Amino acid sequence: MLSSQRNELLCETGPGTSMGELLRRYWQPIAGVSEFEQRDTKEVRIMGEDLVLYRDREGNYGLVDRHCPHRRADLAYGFTEERGLRCNYHGWLWDHSGACLHQPFEETRHPEGTFKDKVRIKAYPVAAKAGLLWAYLGPRPAPLLPDWDRYYSRGYKQIAISEIPCNWFQCQENSIDPVHFEWLHSNWSMVLRGQDGPRAPTHTRLGFDEFDYGFVYRRVRADTTEDDELWTTGRVCLWPNCLYVGHFEWRVPIDDTSTLSVGWFIDELPGDAPFEQDRIPTWHAPVRDEKTGRWIDTHVMNQDYIAWVGQGAIADRTLEHLGESDRGVIMLRKRMFDEIDAVAAGRDPLGTIRDPAVNDRVYLPIVGGLNRPARGDGPQPFVFLAGQPDEVRTGHEQAWQQCAAASAVG
Amino acid sequence: MTGTASGPEPPEPPGPPAPGSYELAEARGYGLTVSDLRRWHPFSAIEIHWARKHGLSAGVARRWAREGVGMRDAVRAVRFRMTPEQVRPWAAAGFLPADAVEAAEAGMTLAEATAWLRVGFILPDAALLVRDGWTLAGATTARYAGVDRYV
Repeated sequence: MLSSQRNELLCETGPGTSMGELLRRYWQPIAGVSEFEQRDTKEVRIMGEDLVLYRDREGNYGLVDRHCPHRRADLAYGFTEERGLRCNYHGWLWDHSGACLHQPFEETRHPEGTFKDKVRIKAYPVAAKAGLLWAYLGPRPAPLLPDWDRYYSRGYKQIAISEIPCNWFQCQENSIDPVHFEWLHSNWSMVLRGQDGPRAPTHTRLGFDEFDYGFVYRRVRADTTEDDELWTTGRVCLWPNCLYVGHFEWRVPIDDTSTLSVGWFIDELPGDAPFEQDRIPTWHAPVRDEKTGRWIDTHVMNQDYIAWVGQGAIADRTLEHLGESDRGVIMLRKRMFDEIDAVAAGRDPLGTIRDPAVNDRVYLPIVGGLNRPARGDGPQPFVFLAGQPDEVRTGHEQAWQQCAAASAVG
Repeated sequence: MTGTASGPEPPEPPGPPAPGSYELAEARGYGLTVSDLRRWHPFSAIEIHWARKHGLSAGVARRWAREGVGMRDAVRAVRFRMTPEQVRPWAAAGFLPADAVEAAEAGMTLAEATAWLRVGFILPDAALLVRDGWTLAGATTARYAGVDRYV
């Protein structure tokens, strides 16, 4: 249970809020690189800020205010040039640093004028990594964009993005809630399949560890012991807004009542022949069943979404009754409050990396190891989200066949 | 940090099983060697990493582990200048041993924690509420304000 004021502290992420200040100290994934193969601008809303993400013809990515500072036209409808994004209303041209490069009519009337040097547009750094585009909305200098070791594993990679109509923090609390697996994913899935028991093995013990980039939660179930990797290694609640269980699930606030769920997935491939994926596809996962209007419940993350949105647009933590299964959630909240205080005191918060020597394939704990053998005799169905496009499934199948053939030749 | 928290590493004990390739990979991830794993047996790589980062010796970590306190909480306990023996009354009263650390941070006595638990607040929840300025009476009223309507 929390007071409404403490609840707001965790949930509000707009400019100037305490949590907004904390989250702005980290790079946030906001789109897939492959989304810019067919378009050069995309409107985005991150932590309550309306922005436009673009890629100019030189290949620079920019993230600027949605509205042109001239007359407030919508730059999502602007067009890119060799360098920068030009407003479609009167042609003012902006680059990724926020500088105004051209004001056509002003410069016609005043060729020696300096008006363009006196105006700027809000602009944030953007970087590409692991097929994702990342934005940093905080004070400079920005920390390094984490270079997680998992990005380099051999396998077929894909990115899936969903918009979830609820606050980000209830999504992230799910990242350190081991017991929900037993009920939301195991037992409920059986019910949905029409199976009447037996129920999934119960959790008998929970444990939590801390490391440089977040928390690890560990579990023993009725069918496992402390020798199982679920206890010895555990799973990662990656600071500040991600779950890492071999794949990544970031929960990026769009605003206080909606969250961008960004999933980065990898499927191991057979054999050990070199495999290079020339592009990581990005797709948008639906959350509602169009026929029934109900939330989709067939896939793991969709089930999570149902739990999250069911808690309300912003979970009212003044009404909750926490118990033993919530120790991780309480630990997460406490640490969030501590890190909010750290930022307010002018310190770098947990998990920020500034040393390039450290930021080289940074290790994250992973059950099964980093380079796990491929499972099964063929590509496994995608279980995390409904709606995987045929082209992505086909790409996975082709990658599998390519690696299987190379392995057979070898 | 207390005087018992740091100090020379104990000699490598004989007999721990050789780590598997997976354990070795995990150890490498935390910058540890096979020798580290042996010396710190049976702690896991993440526990060894966290202990060393905070200056906890294997011997001190083992003393806390014997009381049922994991590495994360052992590090905090040492920071609060606790001794392993201090958790025993808590365990005897039905709390997790690590709850003693949580209570120490929040400045709660065993009697206070027991009173909070009696009305349904597990210790970490109670400790966070105390830290936020709640009294037991106020928190109890708030907790059951909605529920009482249905009783």
